[in-house]
Amino acid sequence: MAHPAAPLQEAEIRALIAGHAGPDRVPPRFKIITDTSDFFRVEYNDVVVLGGVPYWVKRYEKEGRFGIDDEPKYWVRRAIDLNTGATKILKLVFHEQFEATVGAVKITCFRSPKKEARVLDLVADHKNFMHGHWVLDAAGNNVRILEFIRGPRFDDVVAGYGTGHHDYFHNYFPKVLDQYLDLVLAIQFLHDHGEKHGDIRRDHIIWDDETQANRWIDFDYNYEQSESMFGFDLQGLGNILIFLAGRGDVLVGDLYHNQRELFDTLWGEDLSIAYKNRVANLQKIYPYIPDSLNRVLLHFSFGANIFYETTAQMLDDLTRARADMVSLTGRQA
Amino acid sequence: MSEHDFGDLRRRDTERHLLAAVDESDNSRRTVMFLADFFSDSQNVFVTLLSIIPEPSGDFFPTEVERRQWLAEKEAAMRNTLAGYKEILIDAGFQDGRIETRLSIRPCTSIGDAILEEQEKLRCCIVVVGRRGISHSEEFVFGSTSSKILHHAKHCAVMVVE
Repeated sequence: MAHPAAPLQEAEIRALIAGHAGPDRVPPRFKIITDTSDFFRVEYNDVVVLGGVPYWVKRYEKEGRFGIDDEPKYWVRRAIDLNTGATKILKLVFHEQFEATVGAVKITCFRSPKKEARVLDLVADHKNFMHGHWVLDAAGNNVRILEFIRGPRFDDVVAGYGTGHHDYFHNYFPKVLDQYLDLVLAIQFLHDHGEKHGDIRRDHIIWDDETQANRWIDFDYNYEQSESMFGFDLQGLGNILIFLAGRGDVLVGDLYHNQRELFDTLWGEDLSIAYKNRVANLQKIYPYIPDSLNRVLLHFSFGANIFYETTAQMLDDLTRARADMVSLTGRQA
Repeated sequence: MSEHDFGDLRRRDTERHLLAAVDESDNSRRTVMFLADFFSDSQNVFVTLLSIIPEPSGDFFPTEVERRQWLAEKEAAMRNTLAGYKEILIDAGFQDGRIETRLSIRPCTSIGDAILEEQEKLRCCIVVVGRRGISHSEEFVFGSTSSKILHHAKHCAVMVVE
């Protein structure tokens, strides 16, 4: 955590902006903000000073990279560190409580800056997480300053692999599975330290072009768990695996319209426990999926009698599935 | 110590001591009513009404003051509920001295584990819990306290009240 330094004067900041973007780009008027309590006050071209470092504020982020269904997130701003020129993401404090629906289940979620700050400290040296640090602003708000990750979403990368599912599964999926195993191990690292991710979704994984690794983003959610502390995280991991193994969601509606013979083989128990319109028992659609992998998928189906309680249990089964994928495809990765 | 001193743990190895794990839910009330109906005539049965309040993480509250306020309100409400449950048992014929209420506020990742720890500490011979009747998908996300107790209880019987 950095400590506030002597206040920066407007002339110094103008000089820094001019040095970074050129004299013509210095805005005629802008606010210098040290208290971010009212994040709507933070506007384009303003400068937020945190821990003595001036950040030149640019656009706000939208869901898809950081956080709710293509809606602007006014508390998440892209900014330029005027000392280094590096692009950063500023996450300002926004306490939010809402009900998330997973299938028919409602779960109370909280947005917690403190939790995200704590996790940032924990994963500072872990390649599979976004990195950043946190600073208390002049009013004591915990602002997270995140490194900007350049690269596409992991699910978009995967959806582009192969000419069809057979080609994808035999030539690309072994590598994808290895990358997924890294992501599950990363979540295990959190769980082993008593932390949850809190919002595991496939659009919260970014492929970092620079480090050539997938990175989990957006871990400011926490939720009220009951008996299973990590159940929500594990369900998110299962949904992602179903997507990866299927090279996209296999939707019941699509099968009904386009592949009626496959649709007719499906039972309710074959569907995803989280999303009733998605098939989890993918072996019925793609018979070459090994039993060991399909068994993992079935843990996330309506027909499941037992559920994973820990990432370790899931990883045990995935290790067997990986060995079978090597046997099937002859590819190590 | 009196004949029925509740603090004498050695006695409990030979007595019929039920641990009823309850909260503010309807199924907990049904559990207490079942105990009242089923055991009130048994003069040698002792009941501990136990409630666990998992201490909430500071993550859920903007300030520590709000967290403490939430906890204080939750504790007051639960003490009130426990007193009400005790009344139900007394009205059914239980003697006051055969009922103990116990409220535990603790950091807790599993309520089921916390209940079983209390069972071990108190040496109760039966753990009684209600069943929420949660759906398959709810059990997936949230887990099930009654299932956990059924699968992990040792040296005691488990009674699940539907």
